[in-house]
Amino acid sequence: MATLTESRKQSLRRALEAIVGKSAVLSDREELMVYESDGLTLFRALADFVAFPTSTEQVSALVKLASQEGLPFVARGAGTGLSGGCLPSEGGLVIALSRMTRILEVDYDNHLAVVEPGLVNLHLSWAVGPRGFYYAPDPSSQQACTIGGNIANNSGGPHTLKYGVTTNHVLGLEVVLPDGEVVWLGAKTREPQGYDLTGIFVGSEGTFGIATKIVVRLLRKPQAVKTVLAVFDEINRASEAVSAIIARGLVPAALEMIDQVTIQAVEDAFGCGYPRDAAAALLIELDGLAAGMEAQAAGVVAACMEAGAREVRTAKDEAERQLLWKGRKSAFGSYGRVSPAYMVMDGVIPRTKLPYVLRRVNEIVAAHGLRVGNVFHAGDGNLHPNILYDPRRPGEEARVVQAGAEILKVCAEVGGSISGEHGIGLEKMDYMPFIFSPADLATMHRVKEAFNPRGLCNPGKIFPTKKSCVEVGPGYRPHPIEEKGLAQRF
Amino acid sequence: MQSALLDQVRGIVGSEYVLTGVALSPYVLEGRTPGAAVFPGSVEEVGALLALASEEGIAVTPWGGGTKIAVGAPPKRLELVLGLRRLNRLLEHEPGDLTATAQGGITLDALESQLASRGQWLSLDPPFGEQATLGGILATNASGPRRHLYGTARDLLIGVMVVAADGSLVKGGGKVVKNVAGYDLPKLYIGSFGTLGVIVEATLKLRPLPDDDRLVVTSFERLKDCGQAVRLVLGSDLIPSAVDLLDGEALRGLGLADGGSAGGALLLGFDGMREQVEWQCEEAKRLLAGAVAQRVLEGGQRDSAWRLVREVGRRAFPDPAAQLRLAVLPTQVTEVIEQAGAVAQRSGLRAAFAAHAAVGIVTAVLAGGRDSAQPVIAALREWRELVRAAGGHAVLERAPLAVKEQVAVWDPPGPALRIMERIKTQLDPKGILNPGRFVGGI
Amino acid sequence: MAHASTLERLDSPHRLTMLEGVDEGVNKCIHCGLCLAYCPTYSELGTEMDSPRGRIYLIKSLAEGRIALTDSVVEHLSLCLDCRACETVCPSGVPYGQLIEAAKAEIERQRPGGPLRRLVRWVNLDLLLPRPRLLALAASALRFYQRSGLQQLVRATGLLRILPGTLSAWEALLPDLPPAHEREPLAEVIPADGARRARVGLLTGCVQAVVFGAHNRATVRVLTRNGAEVHVPRAQGCCGALHAHAGEHARAQELARRTIDAFEAASVEVVVVNTSGCGAHMKAYWHLLKDDPAYAERARALSLKVQDIAEFLAREPLRGPLAPVPMTATYHDPCHVVHGQKIRTQPRRLLSQIPGLTLVELNEADWCCGSAGLYNLTQPEMATRLQERKGRNILATGAEAVVTANPGCIIQIAQGLRAQGAAVKVLHLVEVLDAAYRRA
Repeated sequence: MATLTESRKQSLRRALEAIVGKSAVLSDREELMVYESDGLTLFRALADFVAFPTSTEQVSALVKLASQEGLPFVARGAGTGLSGGCLPSEGGLVIALSRMTRILEVDYDNHLAVVEPGLVNLHLSWAVGPRGFYYAPDPSSQQACTIGGNIANNSGGPHTLKYGVTTNHVLGLEVVLPDGEVVWLGAKTREPQGYDLTGIFVGSEGTFGIATKIVVRLLRKPQAVKTVLAVFDEINRASEAVSAIIARGLVPAALEMIDQVTIQAVEDAFGCGYPRDAAAALLIELDGLAAGMEAQAAGVVAACMEAGAREVRTAKDEAERQLLWKGRKSAFGSYGRVSPAYMVMDGVIPRTKLPYVLRRVNEIVAAHGLRVGNVFHAGDGNLHPNILYDPRRPGEEARVVQAGAEILKVCAEVGGSISGEHGIGLEKMDYMPFIFSPADLATMHRVKEAFNPRGLCNPGKIFPTKKSCVEVGPGYRPHPIEEKGLAQRF
Repeated sequence: MQSALLDQVRGIVGSEYVLTGVALSPYVLEGRTPGAAVFPGSVEEVGALLALASEEGIAVTPWGGGTKIAVGAPPKRLELVLGLRRLNRLLEHEPGDLTATAQGGITLDALESQLASRGQWLSLDPPFGEQATLGGILATNASGPRRHLYGTARDLLIGVMVVAADGSLVKGGGKVVKNVAGYDLPKLYIGSFGTLGVIVEATLKLRPLPDDDRLVVTSFERLKDCGQAVRLVLGSDLIPSAVDLLDGEALRGLGLADGGSAGGALLLGFDGMREQVEWQCEEAKRLLAGAVAQRVLEGGQRDSAWRLVREVGRRAFPDPAAQLRLAVLPTQVTEVIEQAGAVAQRSGLRAAFAAHAAVGIVTAVLAGGRDSAQPVIAALREWRELVRAAGGHAVLERAPLAVKEQVAVWDPPGPALRIMERIKTQLDPKGILNPGRFVGGI
Repeated sequence: MAHASTLERLDSPHRLTMLEGVDEGVNKCIHCGLCLAYCPTYSELGTEMDSPRGRIYLIKSLAEGRIALTDSVVEHLSLCLDCRACETVCPSGVPYGQLIEAAKAEIERQRPGGPLRRLVRWVNLDLLLPRPRLLALAASALRFYQRSGLQQLVRATGLLRILPGTLSAWEALLPDLPPAHEREPLAEVIPADGARRARVGLLTGCVQAVVFGAHNRATVRVLTRNGAEVHVPRAQGCCGALHAHAGEHARAQELARRTIDAFEAASVEVVVVNTSGCGAHMKAYWHLLKDDPAYAERARALSLKVQDIAEFLAREPLRGPLAPVPMTATYHDPCHVVHGQKIRTQPRRLLSQIPGLTLVELNEADWCCGSAGLYNLTQPEMATRLQERKGRNILATGAEAVVTANPGCIIQIAQGLRAQGAAVKVLHLVEVLDAAYRRA
């Protein structure tokens, strides 16, 4: 937490108010507290101010002010992130983009839209839906998360197996750089000249600046969709079915796995029609041309049956399909019904390693005396073990963190990654050396230096701190949260 | 190049892999001859060479198959050509993971044939696949017609191993299809024309080989009708893998015309399950009923037609003078082609155009055969203006030195250049990697 | 904002009596944020203190003693509509309605509102609502005010502009009162028309009975045509919902006991309610009285009998004959029907059984219109923003009528449409059903 003197705080507040107006600046402790966490409650950090700009010019002016005053700043969308990425970990200014929610332009002929960063992901698909279009990246939090936040994290979602993640759908960005200058990276047209700065900006977790306008691709809704639910009595068989589907040369739009702990929580929440006694279920969606759809569905059914599915059924109508997806997308939230807290891991592994790694995950969690629920993008090999725990029990949180680290280590060992879509943020900084060498990290740090030489823009994220022996460059300093140890939940 | 230095280079790779003197003639670039060309046989050798170059301040020009070596401003310095063709192995291919890792110097065709033996392919189809290397394709962001559905290098590359300017080995991304750990470094190396590092290994997403693959060529009386046809296709349920457009001149130059008078043609690629491909060919026929002619090509005919289209820059005219790559909004494609064609006509030049119509990428070729470069220069300048006015941009992909001296290769990238320069300084502080060839003199 | 000095920790935990027992509910919130985009106040303001997740965080922090009940905390909690849209989307099952009511009760206990607001609330909550006869008297005065031309005079002269904001907001919301015969009490028992399906008690409400007596009469006609023997216990009064939402906890409990007594005496199988807030509240009597040994069980039994009018009717196909009601209509979900009682498809199913009626969907149909009990009186600014938003969405449908199922919504939406100069009719579901029966 920052240590501004009262008089400096007053004068900064006045300067902020001069930019965004009196009603668009928060500085009272109880109001700031609401902004101290994101979707991951393991960490909390209090800002000195939260400001609510409504235009690029205001964002630029805020950033220039912060830059002049040496005040750290970080952008925040809906705060649904799962890695602590938008926390003001060194105090300073939170730039909340929740008042920049407009769709500025939709160009149906060129299949693109220009939006503001605070726009809720799903609201874009709602807006263009009546004309037969949609925005493909669909994180499970898409009903609340913002497209700006998706840019920061390069968010994925269930349908990325076929359609790719956020970066595959972003053409250009208007960005406020960490010194306040406004530049365009990329454009509405393809192959803009020079380095692919759009590509490197997406997924930079808010450390390269703040996107204020975003050009995204829109896709046409597919002619046909088929959603299949395959039910298994053994989780291993479900894992094998995943490889079997891929081996048949099928590329489903989505291929999701959901285990028994999760099924029961979801059924408690919404009664979505998953069998409560199943060890695991696969939710498989095919989309595209109507021609050949039956044959593909038959291929999926056959692959699942051969792998030992107990039951395979196809959603009979759109309502049933929506209900199955509602269950899948609400899974994380549903854990609140079976446990007072959970920590979601986000490791990625080669698909073929699924049976082995799932077994290891269960062993690790059991060894720490904890429970785990699995709901994840099996087709991508993107695991989400959700370790369930009670933060009020002494020592339990530390065991969760330890188990999480061990799981990510296994993912790294089989050639995977420590994050598929949630980002590194505060949570996984110290695990970066599991998969990156000092030279890799130094290169990343140099790129950061190019965008953010003073390090004021979202400081203290991504790069490892004490545990690593990595020297990551001149901007390095120990993280305050790390010095405090793990903050208690909430 | 000093002989002591050459000895050190020879010491690293062995003297049989170092070319000097007249043997360098294939590596003459924009009229300049390098001091040496060296062909390392391992990643470690690449590292040692770059460490040496960095220490000695020698300019290094990475060189794959050389198919895109003409793209770029004349080099500030041309000293050591770093040939990568010996790094030509497929390292890993696990069909169940739909990924493969290969070395940067493998040619696209060699890679594809090995992948095909296990039922998969890398969905990139740039020109000259028999020569173009994986590293070169990535470094130049080369693409082909099927980018329409399958995307470009940035959509397929999931991990990259690069030898940095100082000779250190740097990895970006990984081997799994989804990965947001750290910055997305692979994006930075794609299309960086070797100015940030030398790509020695790449991991890519693959796709299953389609059961069936056809090319539907539909000719129209006027180019405008082609544009209308593109709009119809994009508004339909069809899912073509390629949506290319050729103007009349390109159609005739490539020998793909049905009769003599067509003003242009739309080339639709359909691949996938037989049932899907058949339905799509029928649907395309129904949708484009107003066409002059329509043919469905399969097998060898299909392959050679696509090859011609990809290589339009070299094949539209026996003696092409210059090639400009334009990027505009898809809806502007036919209009820009018409205007650019009119410009050429006024200058007394012949021009041919091919476009990946639905993504707005146009290759514009000027015929040569004249003594003076002046009309070519004038036409290129006017084209540039025209694209800029349409909100797009252009790269002069090929032109004689005399033309390049008068017409900029790259458009200025705007205020973002500042960041690009800083990235270059951070990653190549001594400026040894391909100096001067890239955007803004980088 | 000059309350920085009140930041010290609260040292006496017993001061937060009303927040005891919120722990379990609060701990169900895992901070996922999926509720944010469904909260009308967050959608309008973009500030997380004015979102469900933010308010839960404030309540949690209050209960833990991390913060005190400062002006700004009170302001953010008071700005909650209590529409419970967040409950519908919450995967974690946070009982948000209970939490916010506990918080409002705590606010009311610790910091009773300003003098003017106290007066308005006293007149409404303490004086008029619990006493139907007094309310009827006030209604007569109000009717005189409207019919005498005094209302037009007051509106035209701009006299309202010099009244305090709350009062002028209130004046604008006054519905046109029905004539006296529509306000006559209903018979205590009305027999079923045709085969009897159930003994049904009808909550006639307080405001409802006076302002919308016609709705109750229509409800009775529609119920009897569908086989209900309708009982209207004289002893019933206000159900106490408004009191509970306003934080008047003790008064709410007292009114609940009275209501339970009245319907127990009538020994009905079902209690039908045609106002959303009352229905949702009565379904939660079990929670309100769970610590009252004399009433806990009885409250639970009554809660189980309560059904919204649409919920009851939609259990069977409507009994015919139904005459055509030719119009294009759209349906607005009252918060405490759709979110409070999870009744979404039933009213639509009922409307779709009416010949000649074309039902079109309303964008943000389940968003609060800004009425929200007394909200439009206490938070006129936000109420107006939501009212305008609702109006825009209704106009975008092109429907001739908007159908809903709650008097508060009807007043709020009608007034909003009037302000936007729109001629769209605003009808209670039972009015439309009744019209179909009466024309047959």
